[in-house]
Amino acid sequence: MSWAQAILLARGLSRGWGGICGAVLTGAPFSQVPLQAPRGLHCSAAAHNSDSWLVPPWPEPRKGPTKALTLHEELFQQTLEGARDKANFVRAVQNFGQHNVHKRGHVDFIYLALRKMREYGVERDLAVYNLLLDIFPKEVFRPRSIFQSMFIHYPRQQECGIAVLEQMESHGVMPNKETEFLLIQIFGRKSYPMLKYVRMKLWFSRFKNINPFPVPRDLPQDPVDLAKLGLRHMEPNLSATVTIYQGLGATSFHPSSSLQMPSSRDSTGTADPTEPHIVGIQTPDQQAALAHHNPARPIFVEGPFSLWLRDKCVYYHILRADLLPPEEREVEEIPEEWNLHYPMQLDLEYGRSGWDDYEFDIHKVEEGPVFAICMAGAHDQATLAKWIQGLQETNPALAQIPVVFRLAGSTGELLASSSGLEEPPPPEGQEEEEDSQQRQQQGQS
Amino acid sequence: MALVHRFLNGAYIFRHCPKPSASCPFLGTRFADYCSSSLQKPVAAPGKTSSQRNSEGDLQGHHQREVALDITSPEEKPEVSFDKAIKDEIKDHFRRLKDDLVNHWIGPEGRPLHEVLLEQAKVVWQFRGKEDLDKWIVTSDKTIGGRSEVFLKMGKNNQSALLYGTLSSEAPKDGESGRSGYCAMVARSPRGPFERKRAYDWSQFNTLYLRVRGDGRPWMVNIREDTDIIQRKNQMYSYFMFTRGGPYWQEVKIPFSKFFFSNQGRIRDAQYQLLLDKISSIGFTLADKVDGPFFLEIDFIGVFTDPAHTEEFAYENSPELNPRLFK
Repeated sequence: MSWAQAILLARGLSRGWGGICGAVLTGAPFSQVPLQAPRGLHCSAAAHNSDSWLVPPWPEPRKGPTKALTLHEELFQQTLEGARDKANFVRAVQNFGQHNVHKRGHVDFIYLALRKMREYGVERDLAVYNLLLDIFPKEVFRPRSIFQSMFIHYPRQQECGIAVLEQMESHGVMPNKETEFLLIQIFGRKSYPMLKYVRMKLWFSRFKNINPFPVPRDLPQDPVDLAKLGLRHMEPNLSATVTIYQGLGATSFHPSSSLQMPSSRDSTGTADPTEPHIVGIQTPDQQAALAHHNPARPIFVEGPFSLWLRDKCVYYHILRADLLPPEEREVEEIPEEWNLHYPMQLDLEYGRSGWDDYEFDIHKVEEGPVFAICMAGAHDQATLAKWIQGLQETNPALAQIPVVFRLAGSTGELLASSSGLEEPPPPEGQEEEEDSQQRQQQGQS
Repeated sequence: MALVHRFLNGAYIFRHCPKPSASCPFLGTRFADYCSSSLQKPVAAPGKTSSQRNSEGDLQGHHQREVALDITSPEEKPEVSFDKAIKDEIKDHFRRLKDDLVNHWIGPEGRPLHEVLLEQAKVVWQFRGKEDLDKWIVTSDKTIGGRSEVFLKMGKNNQSALLYGTLSSEAPKDGESGRSGYCAMVARSPRGPFERKRAYDWSQFNTLYLRVRGDGRPWMVNIREDTDIIQRKNQMYSYFMFTRGGPYWQEVKIPFSKFFFSNQGRIRDAQYQLLLDKISSIGFTLADKVDGPFFLEIDFIGVFTDPAHTEEFAYENSPELNPRLFK
């Protein structure tokens, strides 16, 4: 119970037991407490005006929402008609100050505002946090003597200040000089909120750039751009090319001609908007590996696998082949005279001499080579077949190779091998192979 | 451990049932790493048995698991003979004691001294079989009433371990938790004969090496030191592991000098270097406040000496936060 409600209770107590029942049970905000509370047994005779008891022993059942409004929530209710955005939030916060010169109940109001921030979309806005800190009355909570600074001076207010900073911390907002000035003005230099501010400054600046694969905070809304970002994020090789097979900016391809004609913006505008986008990525090494792939061995389209970019989950599919058994593996050696300008193969090791061995004594997991990755709007076979058709433009060898679709459910786990006991076998395995062979025949004709 | 269990629970123990943790909830501490029930390895279908079982229906839990095992996996017939289990455990412990004494003559941990001293890369945990998964405990915020789920199973071709599940940051309605949503996988501390505590000695290495394949989520790697002091039970050294996502295996190298010190889940002002001579366990935590499914595939975990890394400790103590250290 906040101190405002405690004062209310005290007032009610002084007016009699009926006053307590009336004020607390109905749960009304204190501004609506009736000034004429009914008298109890202990009050003086002079104040006895009316004869009847005004308060019913139990409030009548409410028809509206059963949750009672918390203190000051009506300030946020007023903006319900308007949009929930920063301007309305700021207005609600400023209204609190206007109605209430002495800022009664500011702690509760700040907690309420912190809870409402997410609805209004301002949880990462530093100016709004500074505005919230501005609600505190200044210079009142600063300790003035050594005894006050030994004990936690105004503990509830300090906890509230820490709660504001903690919400800033959990959303990754870095406080600035204005925050520091406000905190010193409100709580003083040796207070807990100020200590938390110093720690935030220190640790945030230490951990700001430790992510080796940073993702921008404002992710693009367009699914094609998001797919491009995701594919570039996953592929470490910088010489990979991203191709949009379907969607905004797709290059139109004709199976018969060898030229690729980029379609203009007008024609993509008239393209079917219900078609899912398909964006793929492939590196030159993967292209070469696919060209050398033995057509007798099938290649698999596996997926969908999940990739998280900040807080968005996108799904991708991969085109890969199984690992060759050791006897069929051939190691291509490029002779040194092939390129005299720079070495084609550089074997830089840490080892200083024979006694240095930085290799781990374990056989690392080896998996078959990945030939291409794609992100598509839909996860069904038809969309992925279009991707394969698009890939055939740049990899003509793909026409000869049978493609098997191994599409899992949306558990996000990687598929087990075909002999795994734990996963159910892909349901349409047999049909896919027949389809792919038909497609292969169509490709050849 | 069968002896211990018998005295605590009075229930029959099978070889395959989860071991140490039924006792831990009795201790009542919340810090999840040692104190929640371990994973019931999904024998036939993943996700069939929940990973988190508190000890409420312990006897019933055992019977249920017995029934589940009978129906779903004919190859693992649990042996109900209690005396045989006790005898096996005793023999196992004596065998380990004998190995320990004999190994002491050969060298540290049973390997000749010159091999240990010249070693520069060591595989500490690998995932090549189901028995490797037994060395890990998997927890989530279900222990405090949250809704995240996490499971651990062997990955493709028994060549890696897959930690997967769903994270939910809905706070439990118990009146005191404001935030929630974490999942963790912790290694069990190494034990000698008769469950004596042992520790890893990594003093000649300086970098942690992980070969993982994630889904783009940021994880936190925690290292705990072996200590008998109760106050130090909640202290750990942590650092972040950022996964790239994608179909390629990722090698994560974290030097030990980067680990920062934290107590009871909060980072401390006074930072000290991680000392490597008594390491008890390592753990991975996911708590990035984003709801949804996740997975992490781990190939192996090792330590090695990176000769290019000469930093001793990455974090200075600040005179503002720690005036006493600078007097």
